Amino acid sequence: MARVSIAASEEQPGLVVVSMLRTDLTTDRSTRGALLAASCALVIAAWNLSLADALDGVLEVRSAYVNINKGVFLLHARVEYPVSEAIRSALKDGVTLSFDLDARVDRERHFWFNANIVDLTLRRELTYHAVSDRYVVRDTRSRDQESFSTLDEALDYLGRIDAWPILVEPQLDGGSYTISVRAGMRRGHLPASLRAILFWTDDWARVSEWYTWSLPV
Amino acid sequence: MVTAGVSGAPPRRLRWIAVGQVLLWAAIGLGAFLLLAKSVQNSSAFNRLQPAILIVDVGGVIALSVLLARRLWGLVRDYRAHVPGSRLTARTVAIFGALVIAPLLIVYLSSLEFINVGIDSWFKVEVKQGLNDAVRLSRAALDLRTREFAARTVALAEALARASPGEVQARLDAERRASQALEVVLFSTHAHVIAASLESPLESLPSLPPEDLVRQVEQHLPYVSLEPQSGGRYLIRTGAALGSRGSRDERFVVATYRVPAQLAAMSEAVQNSYSQYGDLAAQREPLKYSFRLTLTLVLLLSMLAAMYGAIYSAQRLVRPVQDLIEGTRAVGKGDFGTRLPLPSRDEMGFLVHSFNDMTKKLRRARSEATQSQQAVERERERLAIILARLSTGVLAIDRNMTVRTANAAAGAILGTELSAATGRALPELAAGNERLGQFVAALAVRFAAGREEWREQLDLDGAAGRRTLMCACTPLPGEDADMGFVIVFDDITTLLSAQRDAAWGEVARRLAHEIKNPLTPIQLSAERLRRRLLTGMSERDAEILERGTRTIVQQVETMQQMVNAFSEYARAPEMHITRFSLNQLVSEVADLYRSQAPRTRIRLELDEQIEDIEADRGRVRQILNNLVTNALEALEGVGSPLLEITTHLEASADGAYAAVTVCDNGPGFQRELLGRVFDPYVTSKPKGTGLGLAIVKKIIEEHGGRIDADNRPEGGARVRVVLPVKDSTRSATGGSRERRDQLRRERA
Repeated sequence: MARVSIAASEEQPGLVVVSMLRTDLTTDRSTRGALLAASCALVIAAWNLSLADALDGVLEVRSAYVNINKGVFLLHARVEYPVSEAIRSALKDGVTLSFDLDARVDRERHFWFNANIVDLTLRRELTYHAVSDRYVVRDTRSRDQESFSTLDEALDYLGRIDAWPILVEPQLDGGSYTISVRAGMRRGHLPASLRAILFWTDDWARVSEWYTWSLPV
Repeated sequence: MVTAGVSGAPPRRLRWIAVGQVLLWAAIGLGAFLLLAKSVQNSSAFNRLQPAILIVDVGGVIALSVLLARRLWGLVRDYRAHVPGSRLTARTVAIFGALVIAPLLIVYLSSLEFINVGIDSWFKVEVKQGLNDAVRLSRAALDLRTREFAARTVALAEALARASPGEVQARLDAERRASQALEVVLFSTHAHVIAASLESPLESLPSLPPEDLVRQVEQHLPYVSLEPQSGGRYLIRTGAALGSRGSRDERFVVATYRVPAQLAAMSEAVQNSYSQYGDLAAQREPLKYSFRLTLTLVLLLSMLAAMYGAIYSAQRLVRPVQDLIEGTRAVGKGDFGTRLPLPSRDEMGFLVHSFNDMTKKLRRARSEATQSQQAVERERERLAIILARLSTGVLAIDRNMTVRTANAAAGAILGTELSAATGRALPELAAGNERLGQFVAALAVRFAAGREEWREQLDLDGAAGRRTLMCACTPLPGEDADMGFVIVFDDITTLLSAQRDAAWGEVARRLAHEIKNPLTPIQLSAERLRRRLLTGMSERDAEILERGTRTIVQQVETMQQMVNAFSEYARAPEMHITRFSLNQLVSEVADLYRSQAPRTRIRLELDEQIEDIEADRGRVRQILNNLVTNALEALEGVGSPLLEITTHLEASADGAYAAVTVCDNGPGFQRELLGRVFDPYVTSKPKGTGLGLAIVKKIIEEHGGRIDADNRPEGGARVRVVLPVKDSTRSATGGSRERRDQLRRERA
């Protein structure tokens, strides 16, 4: 339902823009052609926006900080992931959801772009285990997994990141640093070839805003 | 010069642009292929490259659309403007387009249908149902185990509740061994371990109970869960409170069991299938949509590229034809410098090569023709100069007597301007010109008689006297029957006159020599006869003798006068050139005759500009005497006789001339005699030798001058004498001593 409503609300302005442009058209053929092309692009853009609503809900990094333990910077974060009927239904149908936590450490530069020191991604998958009727959270790299009896527990587990080592002290050489954390989720676990085909229509993918703060060095 | 479209950018530049385009598109194609290959291998890389791929694809479509639109617009514009070759291009593009687009559309529609049907077939209801059944089956198989282990745990809890603290560990160990559990642990409140039995106590510690387990056993409810583990393993975790609901015993026991590997593997396989199917099924519509969109994009790209290629190929094919058309037009307008660029080495190239070869030959032929024409023109100019300088008249006419060409001498001889009369008919020009009229009449008579080639002498009478022409006519050669005639004629009047002069000179010389000698003896003999015989004769005989001898003497004297006159005519005495005033001499002669002919009014008009002339004064006086005498004789019987003598200085390119004109108001020269008045014995007078004007002419010619005679329009005769002022002029104009000597020799 959310998709339909947003689609309507997004498409309608697009159509209004198109019709408004058409009424103001001059008789110049080249101008008319250019405006027509731009209108088509707007319609396509509005249509694409209308599809990106399956993961509707709050997706944000609530809090994050680092502490240093024996020269290792450990990241702690709390993330809120959206829960909706569409997600529940999709999980029940066997769909795998991927949860990415991106962490970046940049050294600030005054006269140029910041230099990236660390760019890490913590990727985990959430699936509904139909045989055991449990929700399984799996680390894609280590293949470690945890199972939960409810989706809320699983999401709560996913939203609690504690002591994730992202940086060691020798990587720092003075100056100011910023740490940025971003959470993302998408419908995943497809063969790569299919992902290529789904180039156009992957509407089950969202990322949060960057949560950025300065590194207390 | 027509090059490459006879216009526009140089061919080399165009070629580089074409090569650049080909390289660009090849790079785009290769890049797209590499991106695709990379994305298939690594989906995360693909995610990063998604925007780039999108931009490249959309950019490609837009660029191709813009290029195609430009080409199409150019094609439409050329078609409307009827540019040569545009219709052929449009037809070729239409055929190419139809040949390419039709199969593309068929493949596109077939592929769409295949995608729809194919993808739907992946997600048949039977498959989904089968998977659900498999999951249920696995659950049922595992449920047996979990229920069994749950019951054992509950029984263990009850046994432990009754057991003394010393027996707990033994019970736990016994139970673990009996049930082959991984671990059996007894917890107190707050999940503190009271006792535990582990399969490998040295390697691990008792695991903490999950929160939901704790919550459930606190409510004295048995707990059982099947927990999937990494590596496809399963654990069954059971829990049970030791005390019954309401009791104060808060201890609980937790046992963990391992699911047999085979059952676990089978269950895991079912789970994996279920999960994969779920992932795929979720993408069913997006997949179809993506396939359609990708296919449409590919179709669009293919169609755009095909159309662009069709237009490009058609224009490349037609370009030589357009060049040929423009080249042919240029040749038609006379521009033989047209050279077309060679498009290729195929048949079209051969055609263009042949065209260039043809224009080259045409250019050479025209150059040769121009050179020939210039040579002809030069020859014509040379001929025109020669004709203009010729004293012989040359006249070309067609059969209608229309003047084609005539030189200046022809006009001078015929007394009209013929050089500018080209294209006009001779009879039309002859109006008002008596001499030309006679000439035309003579020609007409001969042409009417069918005579086309002839040579005859024509006598033309006119106000200025009779002119004699030696005329030759011949038809002009040529393919055209109406090429006309060329008539060449010479005014031989002067020549004939000279011949007559020479003849008369010879006559005079013979007369002087042959007749004069016997005359004196005849006269003397007659006088002697009269003296001797007169005294002895009768009166009657004496009278007869007297009359006879007198007649003889008179006639001999007459003959002697005549012979003297001839002698004078034939004589070529040495000239004594002196400087004297011509005006003064004229005045003297006029004064002399004023006294002799008081009736006649003699009027003088003397040009004061005339300086002294260099001539033989005595002979010039003789000229004047003869002319005045002639005029006075002509004025006899005229009512109010008037004699006018005028002098005039004439300047010409070869020197100054003094002209003396003697006019009277008498009857004038007889028309038939006008051309021969300077011939000996041509006279209309009853007396006189008829040698007066002949002698005048001879003297004048010896002085290098000229004389002509005609009748004045108002009546009366007019004789005009022109003498050079300087003797040097006389020499330069041929009237020199050499000429006099030549005349003398001729007469001798």
